[in-house]
Amino acid sequence: MNRSPPKKMRIEELIRRNIWEVDKERHIEILDEKSLPKKQLLLLCPMRCYVEEEGRLVMHYEECVECGLCRILSNPKSLRWDLPRGGMGIRYRYG
Amino acid sequence: MSSSLKFDVVIIGAGPAGCSTGYLLAKSGLNVLIIERGSEPGAKQLWGGKAYAQPLREVWPELDREAPIHRWISIERFSLVSGERVVTLEYKLGRKVAFTTYLSELVSWMAKKAEEAGAMIISKTRADEIVIKNGRVIGVRSGSDVVEADVVIDAEGINRILLEKIGLASKLSPEHIGLGVKEVLKLNSEKINERFGLEDEEGVSWLVIGDVTKNIPGGGFIYTMRDTISLGIVVRVSSAYDAVERGELNKHVSEVLEDFRTHPYFYRLWSDAEVIEYGGRLVIENPVETMPKKLYMPGLIIVGDAAGTLVNTGYTFRGVDTAVYSGKIAAETILEAFGKKDFSEEILRRYEEKIKSSYIYDEILRHKGVSDLMREKFLFKDLPRLLTGGFEKILEADYEEPKIIDGFRKTMRENNISLLRLLSVMIKLVSKL
Repeated sequence: MNRSPPKKMRIEELIRRNIWEVDKERHIEILDEKSLPKKQLLLLCPMRCYVEEEGRLVMHYEECVECGLCRILSNPKSLRWDLPRGGMGIRYRYG
Repeated sequence: MSSSLKFDVVIIGAGPAGCSTGYLLAKSGLNVLIIERGSEPGAKQLWGGKAYAQPLREVWPELDREAPIHRWISIERFSLVSGERVVTLEYKLGRKVAFTTYLSELVSWMAKKAEEAGAMIISKTRADEIVIKNGRVIGVRSGSDVVEADVVIDAEGINRILLEKIGLASKLSPEHIGLGVKEVLKLNSEKINERFGLEDEEGVSWLVIGDVTKNIPGGGFIYTMRDTISLGIVVRVSSAYDAVERGELNKHVSEVLEDFRTHPYFYRLWSDAEVIEYGGRLVIENPVETMPKKLYMPGLIIVGDAAGTLVNTGYTFRGVDTAVYSGKIAAETILEAFGKKDFSEEILRRYEEKIKSSYIYDEILRHKGVSDLMREKFLFKDLPRLLTGGFEKILEADYEEPKIIDGFRKTMRENNISLLRLLSVMIKLVSKL
């Protein structure tokens, strides 16, 4: 058995294992950053779609798995949340 | 889709519930359309890895022979983790009760069965609206097309976008919902058999609580597939939210899972395995609070996760067998409705009555206390510490082995655990699980 010390994988590496059909249209959009639970979105969105860029909260919809977490932590006024269009988004092979 | 289309039944979502309903109705000769938003049935499916077979056999008696079953659970393990120390309990099962597989693969099989029975499945199509006319559901809209039907089945899953739009379901509450993240680790089946102590087609179902979720209410799971291992954690959303707020959780949830994967006690089992997929989903933790107030309206029936038909026993989430079974009950009710050509509430309410007198609801009520129990920090922090610390004192003594009771007493003092608190939680545990 391999005895080398465990190497932890970064989220970027984990995500590279997945297959997405990326839509041109974004299905989730931040409408009002101030009323979103920023810390929670940064740490709990499983794919880390939410990141801070130049002090602003940015949502990268391309790697979203449509889990719905950000939807239940927000309201329609602060976040527009749709499912990707038909055929788009995550395609699990070993779900 | 053309706007003139009319079916007997239109089903939203080719998941476990949608496929079982569609299969049974098509088999009975109804004209069934299933609308699926994924690139094919199964593409949007993610779970831990284990299903209970018997409810599925009621819909597909050929299940054991035909379904893509990876391994039958032969060993159930339960571990408490505190730091590097682990206490594990193992139970050897005597018969084929539950099996492992990928939900993507299982649902793909269910969809094939539905199609063979005559149901039509249209993938890559997102349902955008449940169309209501004069207080009655008359069909489903996708883009600019409307498909009409005598009965619409909502099997849209846990994110109830469409039901919320028509006011039948309320928004999910973080209090009652868990967040699950999962890695799939590739390891050949010989290595899995050898390291987990399994024969071919035998599998392990393993629940882990304690430090694996950073003591946030929830747990970790391990399931052996044919030549992969499914490894994940589930945390209660509201608790994870609070832990972040208080600064107790200050790393990304994928790092929490990576800490679990690389924990020395577990890592030796898959140190040479490669991660081949990483996913996440929401799970219902408290079905009583998540179930819509009504599971029907004229022309509409709600099944599966959308209906909150999930049993959380505290040691396992049963969402797939219950979803399939809800589909079976829905199909029975709909066939009755077609027999009478009556799709009113009077007929369709029988679906809800049947759900509430089925094993699903019995189980939901029987495990009602579990959700409260899962709030107990004691269970996720103090208990793992007490057991691992107690055993350490007893078993890792160089000369004088303390009496068992003294080992645990000392650990309790060190961790500020009161005997009264311990007893009260143990009593709750025994009575509610």
